[in-house]
Amino acid sequence: MARAFIGDMAYSLGATRYELAESAAAGRLCSSPDDLLAAGFARHHVCPPGDGSYDLARGATDRLPLNDGVDAIVYNTCLPQNGSIGDLAAWEATGDVKHLMEFPAGHLQTDLGLDTAVVFGLTQQGCTGMLGALRLADALLASEPEWERVLCVSADRFPPGARYEQSYNVISDGAAACLVTARPAPGTRGLRLVATHQITNGGLHTASDDESVGTFFSYVPLLVRQTLARAGLTTADIDWVVPQNTNRHAWRIVAGLLGIDHERVWQRTLPDVAHAISADNIINLSSLLESAELRPGQRILLAMAGHGLNWQATVVEVTA
Amino acid sequence: MSGRVVVTGADGYIGRRVAARFLADTDTRLVLTVRAADRAELDAKTARLLPELGPAADGRVEVLPADLTHEAPLAAVTGDVTAVVHSAARTAFDVSRPVAERVNVDGTRRVADFAARCPALERLVLLSTLVSAGLRTGPVPETALVGEAENANHYEWSKAAGERLVAAEFPDLPLSVARLSTIVADDDRGAVTQYNVFHNTLKMFFYGLMTVMPGLPHTRLYLATAAFTSAAVVRLASADAPTGVYHLAPTAGQALPLTDVMDTAFDVFGEDPAFRRRRLLRPEFCDDATFRHLLAAADGLRGSPAAGALRTVAPFAEQMFHPKEFTNDRLREAWPGMPTPAGLPLVAATCRSLVATRWGRQGADAGPVRAGSTS
Ligand SMILES: NC(=O)c1ccc[n+]([C@@H]2O[C@H](COP(=O)([O-])OP(=O)(O)OC[C@H]3O[C@@H](n4cnc5c(N)ncnc54)[C@H](OP(=O)(O)O)[C@@H]3O)[C@@H](O)[C@H]2O)c1
Repeated sequence: MARAFIGDMAYSLGATRYELAESAAAGRLCSSPDDLLAAGFARHHVCPPGDGSYDLARGATDRLPLNDGVDAIVYNTCLPQNGSIGDLAAWEATGDVKHLMEFPAGHLQTDLGLDTAVVFGLTQQGCTGMLGALRLADALLASEPEWERVLCVSADRFPPGARYEQSYNVISDGAAACLVTARPAPGTRGLRLVATHQITNGGLHTASDDESVGTFFSYVPLLVRQTLARAGLTTADIDWVVPQNTNRHAWRIVAGLLGIDHERVWQRTLPDVAHAISADNIINLSSLLESAELRPGQRILLAMAGHGLNWQATVVEVTA
Repeated sequence: MSGRVVVTGADGYIGRRVAARFLADTDTRLVLTVRAADRAELDAKTARLLPELGPAADGRVEVLPADLTHEAPLAAVTGDVTAVVHSAARTAFDVSRPVAERVNVDGTRRVADFAARCPALERLVLLSTLVSAGLRTGPVPETALVGEAENANHYEWSKAAGERLVAAEFPDLPLSVARLSTIVADDDRGAVTQYNVFHNTLKMFFYGLMTVMPGLPHTRLYLATAAFTSAAVVRLASADAPTGVYHLAPTAGQALPLTDVMDTAFDVFGEDPAFRRRRLLRPEFCDDATFRHLLAAADGLRGSPAAGALRTVAPFAEQMFHPKEFTNDRLREAWPGMPTPAGLPLVAATCRSLVATRWGRQGADAGPVRAGSTS
């Protein structure tokens, strides 16, 4: 099957940047700043009051070349409540559920003038949703021969009062967007999708933070092995790993289990960006693309664990 | 056996069972020593211990306070002592070096000093551990420790140091060193009343809190029950068992490869519907360097209960990278009719009881201490 390409990509982060100590003092964190610093985090990004997840989505999509339109939008949120941007006060006042169904993808379509785009929403894949969006985009382009471009978006903002630490990771509000195209987009580095794979274990739907951390080290290696097997590859065929921004030791352990050289794990944005929910892969991939490290023919493994019960991975190959 | 037998640490897990075994198998009188800061603590410990030993203790048992960190802790023991079983120790793998030294090394010297003053003494049985061998690999004979080896933790170090010092400073004592296996259950039925690194590791696996296993798959585990161990100790305290070093352990051939233990544990876990529903994966073996990263991560997760649990098993984990072959020829010779270790069925029975009681949190009633069946 011909596979799609990841083209332009962009991201945005919550407009207020906090050092760990500031957020600890404000009660946004559970662990001590020292522990989080030791885990590789240094600062994170939070939306100011009034900014929502849709603003983050616009912050990312506005940086993409969308003049030629897109055939579909796949809009993902980790938190299901970010999948509706309606007025909650209006819902409470009226009891009318339409206020709970104001879909951000529809807004995006009309605000960006993407009038012919059809929209899809993903809300149940935790932090892995952006990789789920890529997979869906790839499948859509394969099944709709007329289609050329799918816009994948992921946007999450934690609600006011939320703690910005999940499973011992510091969270940033953030969004990412990218174009998935049927043909390599001119003027961008071609990243051809080679394989996508997902594991869901619904039995872990009530996993505690500690269980999520524990199962990370068994399910991520399984995910990687199954993903590579689907592509007929081995770990030796992988040049770069682009993971989520989680505790800096986590991928050292996984790399050790898989026999991957940890130098090949690209997690450079961890201190400054923190875990921007589903946007991490695009943020780290952008950083890798900006480096002078990539060569045509190299393969990159994008991997993500989400909410203790979803794991997704995507392999892409640098084509130009 | 005539005369009196002193058991130190007699309210500890093994001490209680050794005492019960003496009462069941011999007609000797016992002096049971317990650590007690004052009269009230002594009374409380005595009131707990005696009912556990049952009617066999009536008229045959005296309970005395003895803190090994005090000078002459056994000075209050009088009469014709024929044997001393030294069971008292600080046994946590994460014990600090100064505490381990004070109790397990200096305290052992004090017990040996007392033993040397007992004119009728026939045996001093020092309870040690197989891991006094430290991080050496390969064959470990039933002889005094030869040469130096690194230790995985201060507990191991202190038990090795205790063995060495008694042998060096008290060469005339009728000394037997009983090196104990990892005790996983009270007896072959698998009930667990003392939780150690074995049980705590399995607990983390069961709850999905740890999903990698440090160690080499073929490293053999030397597992035993408290019933087997206490019967062996009583046997070695007898004057007709030769002095010397004994491994209270299965043979290397009977000891269980780590990978088989893990498979058995997960087979048993899989019988539990709640466990099955969660579809936890069997742990992978990881190398030392990878495990160190896991510990480094755990060090930074001070708010995490799982990281805390991981830190408690870590001091033992290094042993899993140092496979050893312990012999037990001397024990088998000294103990005619020695029971055959139950092997994987013991692991399965133990795991079943751990799962059924959720590691002692549900319906675990230890009941009275029985001398226990060793078969
Ligand atoms: N159980 C095993 O799996 C195992 C394996 C290998 C070797 N061993 C050895 O077997 C022996 C008994 O172990 P165990 O499992 O019965 O340990 P345990 O349950 O921890 O009992 C240790 C006993 O020693 C006492 N003790 C601690 N510090 C003392 C001090 N300063 N003065 C006097 N008594 C003190 C404790 O009293 P408090 O409770 O009042 O502190 C307790 O009665 C130990 O020498 C141990 O090294 C055990």
